[in-house]
Amino acid sequence: MSILIKKLIINYPYFAAFIIFSIGALTVLKRSNLFKKLIGINIMESAIFLMFVASGNIRGGAVPISNNNNPQSLYINPLPSALMLTGIVVSVSVTAFALALILRLYRSYGTTDLRRISEMGNEVAE
Amino acid sequence: MLSLILALFSGAVGGLIVAMIPETNNRLRNYIVLFFASSSAFFTWRTAMKVFAGESVRIAGELGGLAFSLDPDPLGAVFGLIASTLWLFTAVYSFGYMVGKHKQRTFFTFFLISLTMTLGVAFSGNLVALYLFYELLTFATYPLVIHERSPEAMKAGSKYILYSLSGAGAILIAIVLTYAWSGKLDFSGGPMLVNSLRPGLNWLLGLFIGGFGVKAAIMPLHRWLPTAMVAPTPVSALLHAVAVVYSGVYGILRTVYSVFGHELIGQLGIRNILPWIAAITILAGIATATRQDVLKRRLAYQTISHLSYILLGAFTLKAWGLAGAIFHMISYSTLKITLFFCAGIISEMTGEIKVSKMGGIGWFLPKTMVAFSIATMGMIGMLPLNTFWGKYYLMKGSVESGKWPLALVLVISGIINAICFVPAIVNGFRGERTKTSGEKGGRVSLMLAPTLILVIIALFIGLMPGIVWPGVEAVVNWFY
Amino acid sequence: MTAAITANLPVFIIIAPLFVAFVLPTLAQRMRLVENLVISVEALMLFGACYLASIVLFQKGIPIIYQMGGWSAPWGIELKVGSLGAFFLLVIAIVSLPIALFARGNLTFEVGGKERRARFYVLYLLLVGALAGMALTNDLFNVYVLVEVATLSCCGLVSARNHPRAAKATFTYLILATLGSCLVMGGIGFIYIVTGHLNMGFASQELGRIWQNNPRVVWMAFSFMLVGFGVKSALFPLHVWLPDAHSVAPSPASAILSGLAVKGYLICLLKVLYNVFGHTLMQTYSVHKVLVLVGMVAIIAGSISALTQDDLKRRLAFSTVAQVGYIFLGFGLLNTKGLAGTLFYLASHAVIKSTLFLSAGAMLAVTGKKNIKDLSGIGRKMPVTTAAFTVSSLGLIGIPLFSGFVGKWHLLLGSFESDNILSVAVIIAGSVLCAAYLFPIIRIAYFESAPEKDWKDPNVPQKLALILLSIVIVVLGVVPGSLLELAGRAAAELLVLQ
Repeated sequence: MSILIKKLIINYPYFAAFIIFSIGALTVLKRSNLFKKLIGINIMESAIFLMFVASGNIRGGAVPISNNNNPQSLYINPLPSALMLTGIVVSVSVTAFALALILRLYRSYGTTDLRRISEMGNEVAE
Repeated sequence: MLSLILALFSGAVGGLIVAMIPETNNRLRNYIVLFFASSSAFFTWRTAMKVFAGESVRIAGELGGLAFSLDPDPLGAVFGLIASTLWLFTAVYSFGYMVGKHKQRTFFTFFLISLTMTLGVAFSGNLVALYLFYELLTFATYPLVIHERSPEAMKAGSKYILYSLSGAGAILIAIVLTYAWSGKLDFSGGPMLVNSLRPGLNWLLGLFIGGFGVKAAIMPLHRWLPTAMVAPTPVSALLHAVAVVYSGVYGILRTVYSVFGHELIGQLGIRNILPWIAAITILAGIATATRQDVLKRRLAYQTISHLSYILLGAFTLKAWGLAGAIFHMISYSTLKITLFFCAGIISEMTGEIKVSKMGGIGWFLPKTMVAFSIATMGMIGMLPLNTFWGKYYLMKGSVESGKWPLALVLVISGIINAICFVPAIVNGFRGERTKTSGEKGGRVSLMLAPTLILVIIALFIGLMPGIVWPGVEAVVNWFY
Repeated sequence: MTAAITANLPVFIIIAPLFVAFVLPTLAQRMRLVENLVISVEALMLFGACYLASIVLFQKGIPIIYQMGGWSAPWGIELKVGSLGAFFLLVIAIVSLPIALFARGNLTFEVGGKERRARFYVLYLLLVGALAGMALTNDLFNVYVLVEVATLSCCGLVSARNHPRAAKATFTYLILATLGSCLVMGGIGFIYIVTGHLNMGFASQELGRIWQNNPRVVWMAFSFMLVGFGVKSALFPLHVWLPDAHSVAPSPASAILSGLAVKGYLICLLKVLYNVFGHTLMQTYSVHKVLVLVGMVAIIAGSISALTQDDLKRRLAFSTVAQVGYIFLGFGLLNTKGLAGTLFYLASHAVIKSTLFLSAGAMLAVTGKKNIKDLSGIGRKMPVTTAAFTVSSLGLIGIPLFSGFVGKWHLLLGSFESDNILSVAVIIAGSVLCAAYLFPIIRIAYFESAPEKDWKDPNVPQKLALILLSIVIVVLGVVPGSLLELAGRAAAELLVLQ
């Protein structure tokens, strides 16, 4: 038991990522409001970013900038952070696209609630 | 080889040409149909003669990465001969029958295309080719089944397709399994699974027979056949008494003799069950037939019963049984088609489709009813007709295999056949003899001529069975 | 010069559509030019794909490796043209060219004015470029990026028709697809955490050595990948977005979505499963059993759902759900025959489903009828379209002479080889069900009386596209030749690894 707790404490970024991911996933699946769904997606993505970035961190590591004074020092891994820049870009574009869609839906249906939109079904004209 | 190709593709080419002829030009269409049907029959004869003479007529290639070959052996040649010859007769009959009917163009198009598919089944040299043509035959005959376009016909068509495709699915599994176990697909070169006794073969044989049994109308897989009788009579006569159902029977014969081989089946437990399945279908089929009032349905149940005669012969696993099966295949087809032709003439000339209302019809249509009576005698298995010999060999094979009750089943079935049809014939000649005859005019003679010729052929074979014996002998020698 | 082009062909084939895609909006006023440009890019891709495939076939299993920017493997990004890559590239090119041709004739009806059409082509080319990237990439993070590019362009294509229902379907699709991408990215993260590599080859080697140290993380990676790509490729029961999205999209878009986009995700999954985890690890975690199981469920459930649909395009969409099941099932067979069959089935379904959607789209455009019952007698009025529909239906059912049969045959052989009798039964049952939901359409089209309406075959480019695709279906069914050989070799390569 104590080993488990120890592990959790040592790996707290991952634990946090897991919690954030669950919150995001629940929000996406449970909420019927389009905005909340979108926010849920963003929360989920943040969790994944956190996981990635945490995986690059090395305790006691220095910023990975070449430094002649201290050639032996331990650097953190910069690659995951760099990768997550791409991830963030993707996430932003998804968000932008989804917002445009929400706008379109709101103009047609007058609501941002997915359940009510489904109820209206095909009645709405172009 | 050229004659094989011509025999095979005459039908399809003719069908495509017919499809281009305008709906109203009946005369031209009939000539074209006649031409292609006879060319197919002629070249099938030539191919068959070569096969019987021991020549190899083989076309092999590749299809979808699988070996594909056309390679008729005597069994295939016999089936091809039956189909293409009767096709010619049915074509002439249809010219008369279809006068004034709708969608003649569609009818004759698919009528000819089905010929190609049936011959493809007959000439197939390996399981892939057999499966291909067997599957295509289903689709080619579908438009014929639903020719009336009535809701009833549509329903019958859907049933036909569903049954056939499910059967084909089972066959596909069986073929893949055969290939996986033996690595062979070709019919030539002995049975594929010979020397590979292993567990699961019973199931494999069951799968094959269950799959082909749909078209061979083994009970309880027969249900599509009576409902498919809504089709025009020439279709019922040719396809549902001969071509389509024979393709199922042919598949089972192939399975027994080319895939497994009679020696291997002789070692399987299932060999004791199979003849009894056939026997049950024989008796149950004909017993059900006695309860049917609609003539064509009665004939359909009789078909179900008689198809299992052939299967019974195959399942005895004896040379005499196979001889009887082949003989019955030939002789039964001539007579059954006659019966259906008569039923078609009756329904077209009098509008009557129910047996109970056919009293005195013999005086109105004397030649038809005489042909009907003779054919019925054949169904019972009486001597001057060809079916007698088939039945005789079947009994011989049954006794030889040590299952004498099977011979008894055949006898009983003959008696029920008599119970089923003789009263109807007697009823047909009851009452006042009328002077008027319905058998006048071009249309009825077009329908009557093939009917009568077939009866004469049947009598002729019955009196001189020697003329078909070389064919039967060739098949038996091929497998034994 | 030619040597330089040849050496850079792998990257060129990905860059070309992406580059042209971004040029198109500036040419929106000159629609003819835009269309010609799209067609020529597609033709170039086909040419390049054929060339690469021939090299791969000729070299007998030595893949062409392209190092982006000249950085070598563990640090740089690799493109790898192996048998699998060449195979899928060929499929992409074969399918996307006729679709572009069809779009040329049909798009005005489907999406409207010049601007919108030009934007459609932008998305189309982006999707094609992303798919080509998926075929060739050998880097896990690239997989994620390409998956995202494909997802966003797919969503754009679904919403190309200016209709609120399209917007709604797109939104559902976008949310679920992004959920899927998140899971995929998570899965990639787990692999990276365990191995420290993003290159598939290195990750695989590392994973083979040290997976025992973190068995649970590997397990998580497996499940994240499966669920993530499962959502994206519409694996039952994660398919909820697909029927709406694929039926509401413009017909050329439905064709490429159902035909190719779904396949792209499946190829990515295949690469991750076999090239990264490897089949030994799959067996250790029993992933193959899960794949076969979910595949079987998808086949049956998808087919039955398709049976209950009256809307033609929805029926086709549900049929995709069922067919994806076949591919999942095949992924789990773990033998060369089964895997080769699956790959060939994937290719054949790509062609067949595109043809089905295109011909359905042509019918829809002419008649304005969505319901299958209203299409009675259309076979007489639109012979070419209905013939294409019939050919592709027969192919999907798996009748010999058509491409579907070849794939199914090998799938069945593979199932027997892995002694999985139940999956054999399911494959056949799926075929029968497929006949049950496609055959009535053909019956209604040909054998029911036609209304007195002025329905005609569509214009030349559309007809040409349909005829081309039908020919491909038949040719693949009769002489699968090198495509089947490529598939077989790809399967062997996937299984040899480790």
